Amino acid sequence: MTPNFVVLGIDTPGFHWPKLWLPIFLLWVPVILLSPIILLAFVALAIANRTNIWRVVAIFWDILCSLPGTHVRVSAQDARVLVRIL
Amino acid sequence: MNENRRQILEMLAAGKITADEAERLIAAVETERARPAGEYSGSLGGSNGATVKTRAKYLRVLVEADESMTGMKGQTTVNVRVPMQLLRAGVRLASLIPAQAHQQLDEALNRHGVPLTLSQIKPENLEELIYHLEDLTVDVDSSEGNATKVRVFCE
Repeated sequence: MTPNFVVLGIDTPGFHWPKLWLPIFLLWVPVILLSPIILLAFVALAIANRTNIWRVVAIFWDILCSLPGTHVRVSAQDARVLVRIL
Repeated sequence: MNENRRQILEMLAAGKITADEAERLIAAVETERARPAGEYSGSLGGSNGATVKTRAKYLRVLVEADESMTGMKGQTTVNVRVPMQLLRAGVRLASLIPAQAHQQLDEALNRHGVPLTLSQIKPENLEELIYHLEDLTVDVDSSEGNATKVRVFCE
């Protein structure tokens, strides 16, 4: 499953941000709208490049689909950064 | 009765494991049986060393460093959780590296003390690599007066 949300939390000593829930599933809208152009670009790359572009797409798709569950939290000097991919 | 289940019940009867641990171990055994052949798993330890394989989903890296190590005020902590599936997909990226670049990469890795041959990482031994990674636990504690801890493990 592709990631749906990215939770971003940044706390600094002088400023407290509320946690941001970024709905990255909305990126599907422009991707679907631009899909004919994207497909043409991939076909052009597949013809021009010696690398099997479909294999590259498959690997990057795998990476994209395995991102949910990633969690990074760093705290230092009263500042905190949190990134979660859901 | 399944042999593993019998062993778990015997350990429970002998008081070697608690009822909770027995429940977790039996659940793990059932999961293992339901899994298709060839799929690897990590391990779940009981309180007295009883071990049954379960599948690890995440690689965790925890770092705690104090001021003397980082030069920053207060303790610095890093908590990273990476899905194993992301590692699998990431290792597949190595297959995109052109063959002529492999030798240069291997030499560079060797120079920096990483005796790894990238060309040997193939999809067929990828699962084995992940399997052994699931058994990995690295604990680093500084002994020079500064409290720095690094933990790498799978869960």
